[in-house]
Amino acid sequence: MNQTVQPGQAPDGADTLLELDGIGISFGGLRAVDDLSFRVQSGQIVGLIGPNGAGKTTVFNMITGVYQPTDGHIRWHGRELTGMPPHRIAQAGIRRTFQTIRLFADMSVLENVIAGEHLQIRQKWWQGLLNTPAQRREEKDLVDRAMAVLEKMDLAGVAHENATSLPYGAQRRVEMARTLVAGPELVILDEPAAGLNEFESAALNDTIRAIRDTGVTVILVEHDMSVVMNVTDNIVVINFGKKIAEGKPEEIRSNPLVIEAYLGQDDDEDDPLMEAVQEATS
Amino acid sequence: MDDRVTETTAGSPAPSVPVPAASKPSGWSGLLRFVGPLLWCVGLLLPVTLSPAWITVGGIFAIYAIVALSQDIVLGRAGMYDMGHAVYFGVGAYISAILSLTFGWPILWTIPVAVVVSAALGAVLSAPIVKLRGDYLLVVTIGFNAIFVLAMKNNLFGLTGGPDGIFGVSGPSVFGHVFGSQSDLFYLNWVVLALVLWIMRNLDRSALGRTFRYLKYDELAATTLGVNAHRYKVAAFALAAGIAGLAGTLFAMQLSAVSPGSFQFTDSVVLFAIVLVGGQASVPGVLLGTAMMFVVPQIFTDLAQYRYLVFGIAMIVVMVLRPQGIWPARRRGA
Repeated sequence: MNQTVQPGQAPDGADTLLELDGIGISFGGLRAVDDLSFRVQSGQIVGLIGPNGAGKTTVFNMITGVYQPTDGHIRWHGRELTGMPPHRIAQAGIRRTFQTIRLFADMSVLENVIAGEHLQIRQKWWQGLLNTPAQRREEKDLVDRAMAVLEKMDLAGVAHENATSLPYGAQRRVEMARTLVAGPELVILDEPAAGLNEFESAALNDTIRAIRDTGVTVILVEHDMSVVMNVTDNIVVINFGKKIAEGKPEEIRSNPLVIEAYLGQDDDEDDPLMEAVQEATS
Repeated sequence: MDDRVTETTAGSPAPSVPVPAASKPSGWSGLLRFVGPLLWCVGLLLPVTLSPAWITVGGIFAIYAIVALSQDIVLGRAGMYDMGHAVYFGVGAYISAILSLTFGWPILWTIPVAVVVSAALGAVLSAPIVKLRGDYLLVVTIGFNAIFVLAMKNNLFGLTGGPDGIFGVSGPSVFGHVFGSQSDLFYLNWVVLALVLWIMRNLDRSALGRTFRYLKYDELAATTLGVNAHRYKVAAFALAAGIAGLAGTLFAMQLSAVSPGSFQFTDSVVLFAIVLVGGQASVPGVLLGTAMMFVVPQIFTDLAQYRYLVFGIAMIVVMVLRPQGIWPARRRGA
């Protein structure tokens, strides 16, 4: 994998990898995200949190080109990313997972992970149809690289299983393996702990940190505050599509606006942030 | 990646996920690897063992198997509802017939032209429409088919011969030997079928074929991994159209005539149904579906006019009881 130090990156890793500058999007009359700005520094783990319906996934969809923002700019290494289709954004080195896992049904775990290597594939279409020796060698390399990642994600044993027949937690890891196999610069994880049991979610903390330690920057949306508070370097809190706070986990814990945003909900019985706040203050 | 990912995930407390043992691709596909070529070789004996009528049936089967396999590239693998696939089959047939009869080309020389022009037409026609959702795409491709048949009937450019088509296409001559008899043509078709089967096998093992399936199962996920969906969907159409065009040339030789009646909407429907009933993205399934449509009726010649009835009932029964097709694809574990 090739992602360690980017050219032009300051040794302290303080350069801005991704910059959201006043982005906004409307769906019909609904202003889903409004004037949102934040920066992601290279090598960080950034958490994007907020009550349900705050627009977190919408932000991810704009960064990855699934939605086009109606206002503002998204910059990547200072270059404009706004308006590019998803496959071009993937070319820039950004990968994502989905809140509702999106694996290729009816295909093996291995084939799913090999999909992540799409942009590294050099074989021409006719080499594939003629099954040339060079093409066969490349196929073998694709499998080897995918197996190496599956090995690290503890999935090698199920490489030939149908991906969507695996338990939920394993499917999440397959999706993460698929984003990591190409050695991206930025990985966006949309609720990686959703549906995981407490052991799995504890392991997830370590996995996310390990991803960061390989030089990959991570942005995550997460409801599980034990994950968010433990792994992130920086947290951005949004509510009703607007940023209401930004800072380090300990700052966010005690931020009155954040507490109010979460308390203001109707269904605050088992509100995860409040639980985390209470835990932290008790 | 460093090894910490391993340590942390593997060393997590009691991986509560029961991890099934690694399973190898099933023995079936391994068996098929030998049985398939064996059946093909047995097929070679057909002209020396069966009556001329059956030799013709064998030749027709090979041609339609090629077209159905090409339909499967678009429908079964890339997941696009192309209900006008007979167009590309027809274009190949007409190009070979026109070039050989009107312009006096040797029929073998017309093959590359038929393939390339059909593929180009597939690309040009599909480029503006592949972004459409399945059912809308289906309606547009029906429109393509209707226009094609109309154009051929109206003697397009004075070349297509009108409603009766073009007669007198002869088989190829190689080193002075004219492939004119039904058994000659059968061998030719059988060899081309082997070539197409080999290409289909390679497609399954290539990045191209995998990418088609990624798009079928989850286009959004595929594009966020860097797949240019538009380009690959057009490629699927072009590849399928090129192979259908190749079958068209064989068809023109086999029947020594080409007419609009062979490439109608109903023919596209039959191709579509063969893939669905046989099994999407499954080569044995598609071959089985083709045999059901073009060979089985010949066994019951007295009942041949009930062919569509039988196939119609088969379609209903299979789709209700076995929606994945009679012989669904078995995924190789790559």
